Amino acid sequence: MGLEIIVGIKWVPNTTSVNIDPKTGTLIREGIPSVVNPHDLTAVEMALRLKDRYGGRVTAISMAPPSAIAGLEHVIGMGVDRGILASDRVFAGADTLATSYVLAKVIEKIGDYDLIIMGHETIDSSTAHIGAQVASWLKLPYIYYAKEIDYNEKEKSIMVKRILENAFEIYKIKLPAVVSIAMHTYEPRRIKISNKLRAKMENLIQVWTSKDLDIDVNCAGLRGSPTVVSAIDFVPKVPRKNEIFNEKDPRKAAKWLIQKLIEEGLLDP
Amino acid sequence: MSTKVEEKKIQRIEDILNNDVWDVDYEPHIKVDYNKCRECKWKPCIRLCPAECYTLVGDEVLFSYEGCLECGTCRVVCPENAVEWSYPKSGRGIHYRFS
Amino acid sequence: MSVINQRFDAIVIGAGPAGSTAAYQLAKMGYKTLLLERGRTPGSKNMFGGRVYLQPLKDIYDDFEKKAPIHRWVKKERISFIDNENSTTIEYESTKTTSFTTYLTQLSGWMANQAVNQGAILLTEIRVDKLYRENNVFKGVVVEDEVVNADVVIDAEGINRLLLEEANLVEKLKPNQVALGVKEVIKLDSNLINQLFGLDNNDGLSWVFIGNLTNGIPGGAFLYTNRDSISLGIVLMLEEAIRKLDKHIYKLVEEFRIHPLINKYLKEGRIMEYSTHLIPEDINSLKPRKLYYDGLLIVGDAAGLLLNQGYTYRGVDFAAYSGYLAAKAYDYAHNNGGPTSDNLSKYEELLRNSFIYRMLNKFSGVTELMKKERLFNTYPALINELASRLMHIDYDSYKIMEAFKEVKKGRISWLTLIKDLWEVSRKI
Repeated sequence: MGLEIIVGIKWVPNTTSVNIDPKTGTLIREGIPSVVNPHDLTAVEMALRLKDRYGGRVTAISMAPPSAIAGLEHVIGMGVDRGILASDRVFAGADTLATSYVLAKVIEKIGDYDLIIMGHETIDSSTAHIGAQVASWLKLPYIYYAKEIDYNEKEKSIMVKRILENAFEIYKIKLPAVVSIAMHTYEPRRIKISNKLRAKMENLIQVWTSKDLDIDVNCAGLRGSPTVVSAIDFVPKVPRKNEIFNEKDPRKAAKWLIQKLIEEGLLDP
Repeated sequence: MSTKVEEKKIQRIEDILNNDVWDVDYEPHIKVDYNKCRECKWKPCIRLCPAECYTLVGDEVLFSYEGCLECGTCRVVCPENAVEWSYPKSGRGIHYRFS
Repeated sequence: MSVINQRFDAIVIGAGPAGSTAAYQLAKMGYKTLLLERGRTPGSKNMFGGRVYLQPLKDIYDDFEKKAPIHRWVKKERISFIDNENSTTIEYESTKTTSFTTYLTQLSGWMANQAVNQGAILLTEIRVDKLYRENNVFKGVVVEDEVVNADVVIDAEGINRLLLEEANLVEKLKPNQVALGVKEVIKLDSNLINQLFGLDNNDGLSWVFIGNLTNGIPGGAFLYTNRDSISLGIVLMLEEAIRKLDKHIYKLVEEFRIHPLINKYLKEGRIMEYSTHLIPEDINSLKPRKLYYDGLLIVGDAAGLLLNQGYTYRGVDFAAYSGYLAAKAYDYAHNNGGPTSDNLSKYEELLRNSFIYRMLNKFSGVTELMKKERLFNTYPALINELASRLMHIDYDSYKIMEAFKEVKKGRISWLTLIKDLWEVSRKI
């Protein structure tokens, strides 16, 4: 038996490295490699831990151009069983609504699932919409900031421990459901060579186009995206100061630091 | 910010390194035994690590692995054998594109 | 430890130029080949100066010139003797070309792709932890807690040789065996590059600098034109750098970049990447005792197969060609009873009969020669002062020998000068 888990991943530019052209003020995208959204790797790790405990299967899904196959291979390298990539020109230019629509269609087509796991948010847009929107399209319960999940096979339900600023909440939810995992909850496991080899030797990744999915093209891609970016502004560069205080005694060092912060008006005396 | 090179002055290493791409691993691939560093007179790592991963805080060596370019210099120049050196796992670390 | 139930004829460690070429040739000959790369993509951990020599690669890859990611064909060569604000430059220009510029990150990627097209299986993001050995025979590799088996392992792990060291086949690198290269790649419009350096489309410039750019440490500096960028950097012999470098090494690169001779070309540029790599320097002491063992061959930088020509290095074609020869050697061994050390010694024979050993023998005295400080301190200053006497004229002009005698005075004796000249002409 076990759990049929679907986990969503996004193939994003490694935004830790995006620079701004000093002359034009625009982002330099040339040669910025993509990575699997780090918070999605946390979701993948959660999915794999559930599979380790309860058995079953983990399917990773993504909507992206074909280059994202490398990202699916990465998570298969971690232990995901198979990948499905929704890739089609008509999906291009999608905002979160149109993206979640296509992902929901992919999940519908997979059909047989108990649990859908998503990352907290993406590092390239940080909307944290997708989990909620996928749940809405599929009319499933949704819970976010999850930290722990326990599965009750008899009841087909999960207990989810959800982390808030200074409290935990515990929910019991009937499956199927959508859960997104609080960022930094787990470090993703290492890639295994046997898994990577499987990704190459056994056809574990399928690419689905709009023809493979029951899609209303008015809901997908740019056409299905009501979001309008009206302007982009850069955060003004804050002038930095630095001062080094060499002091071995941590008490003296802390006193000095507090004094400095007070002088700068950053702490109330 | 990207580094303008027309300025006829030496840029800060941080600004130069800012043009590189890493997928930083969550655990360090290099470990430094600071006890050995205390014994070290020369500390050639400070000047020779091209990414300036080794800095002096007072007279103590401080190592951070995040900006490592994986060249291996610190391991070779360390006179005290204080550097336990390896490469990052799972494709992490520096990602050169134009070199 | 679990053993993966897939067996390969060959496992190649490292998808740099040596490893990718070995995998390409093995797969082309029909061997089931696994190419392992620790980076996200082949080439993502590679770095070099900027220039590759063509001919050996043409011998290996069909239509190399048409298909490979070549930026510019080097048709202009400059050597500058540099001393504070002055420089004397020798320029050579030809319509013929034997080398090109590129990014090694791209070239390695292309080579690995050729291997995949021939049927090799490329796995990225895989860091090999150990060579797997049974009864002193190499039988595969260990990654985390898994073993993959192969008939032969080709070690193309690069200069740091952690695997060979762990297997007790080499000792840890010593500072006197390597040099450290550090470079900046600077974005510049391709038309502007043509204009600034007097180049036609797709023609390139290779420029080496000898003089006081290296803080008095043996080494040099280089500049190459790529399609729409410039690679510039410095190389220092590491042992001398440990003793003499009195500032952070990156500052030498930056000082070079803002040197008046260079900076005038870079006004429109921005830094795209900063990179660094160790370079085999003293091949004689760095080369493993043997490059072939039962079930194992060593290629590329790991084998110390790189040519130090004094003013410049030749690494990529040497690495690739050694990978090519290793594949040939395995083919021979396979057809003659298996990859025993005896059979794989074919690799040594192939190297001996190739340009690789021919060149390594020819240039074997270079490292020693390059340690002579006079070469990058005294002589560049002398050349520049000589040029200055001859060219900067107010009333009186100098005769050449008259100027020469004057600038030589107190710097160097005739005897040393003649000895040095003799040595340089013999070794380089």
